[in-house]
Amino acid sequence: MAKLNLHINGDEVEVEAKESALLLDVLRQNLEMTGTKRGCETSHCGACTVLLDGMAVHSCVVLAARCEGKEISTVEGLSEGGELSQLQRQFLKHGALQCGYCTPGMLMAATALLHRNPHPSLEEIKNGLDGNLCRCTGYTGIFEAIQACAQAKNG
Amino acid sequence: MDRKLIRPRAIEEALREREKYGRDALPIAGGQSLLVLLRNKLVDPQFLLDLQTLAELEGMKSRDGGLAIGAMTTIHTLASSRTIQTMMPVLAQGASKVGSTAIRNMGTIGGNLCHNEPGADLPPVLLALNAVAELRSSKGSRKIPLRKFFHNYFETVVTPEELVCSIEVPALPRGASGVYLKHAISSEDLAIAGVAVVLVPDEKRTGVVREARIALGGVAPVPLRAIKAEAVVSGAELNDETIRGVAEIAASEADPMTDPHGSAEYRTKMVKVLVRRAITAAAAQRNGNGKA
Repeated sequence: MAKLNLHINGDEVEVEAKESALLLDVLRQNLEMTGTKRGCETSHCGACTVLLDGMAVHSCVVLAARCEGKEISTVEGLSEGGELSQLQRQFLKHGALQCGYCTPGMLMAATALLHRNPHPSLEEIKNGLDGNLCRCTGYTGIFEAIQACAQAKNG
Repeated sequence: MDRKLIRPRAIEEALREREKYGRDALPIAGGQSLLVLLRNKLVDPQFLLDLQTLAELEGMKSRDGGLAIGAMTTIHTLASSRTIQTMMPVLAQGASKVGSTAIRNMGTIGGNLCHNEPGADLPPVLLALNAVAELRSSKGSRKIPLRKFFHNYFETVVTPEELVCSIEVPALPRGASGVYLKHAISSEDLAIAGVAVVLVPDEKRTGVVREARIALGGVAPVPLRAIKAEAVVSGAELNDETIRGVAEIAASEADPMTDPHGSAEYRTKMVKVLVRRAITAAAAQRNGNGKA
């Protein structure tokens, strides 16, 4: 076992975990932060997407020990003081979720995308979500929600 | 997964650990493939040797007019680097086709080559660029051209004492153009077939190719150069007929497997299609004064 000092959603967190523990397991099991979903566990589906220093990663293929000294952002950190983020509100407005299982990963991938490119084209949105699968919505609502955020940032 | 993680602070220390543990410690680069193998219990080493702590394996330097790219440089960096986009755009293009955004953010050039998974995108691109891997052990170093680097499915010539430290990519000859084409069902998949082409024009004779490099991925136990097809293009004037003939020869050099993603026959046919398209696109790029 190893003691890890992680920086998650702005908080310093000390956690005891196996040396080669995956970030996904540390978040969900050790820290009971179950917003990040366990999906394929083979880096295909993106349900476990979190941000590491602002970059989208699949937490099922990241060693937690490697995240020390980096800023980890999860879906739990998107809202502020109980207020949903603009992206989360647009997801609701545009019906960008049905079963909701892919949603945390979609939100995190979209957050990273909008951070590096505040006004993405539809093509850029599709590329930015290339690591995230959704089996219900057909993606249209998701694209619309992200486009709405991009437009809001224009004005 | 209760495995010990060895975290060396310098390359010399990493090489000593490599010598000490041999096959018991697997080096972990970006981990995007290795952590899946571990999860599926396809490999079960006692230790993981973490290379992330080795800053000297990251980033790129100019060397002899080309680039020496540190083995831990991420695929995202390859795809987005202005230096690579300017000097060897085909490498940036190939890198942008690897997996998904999240995989490119963590995955590395060294890990991608050492894993040697059939259908990986970087091996054919780097083969077409005549890249050379620099391997180090605590006893010394050696340089292996990528043409001699891949051994078999998921196997390379890297010994348990060695680490790939950098990939040297020579500058492209003047006027060269390059294209990488990938055929996959979904963009984040491995290639059913991947073809990289670099064409070097004959500066004295318009429309004639002085040197052609054609590399195939996903269609043999190792990524390979289609040398018979290359010999036919080199010195030839490119027209639809020669290009079709060359594509046919390249397809005959493939030795593909059948798996759930595609049959051997289908892969062979796709090599023919992709080689034809890649040569046509590279030639068009050249006429438009593009660069590889």
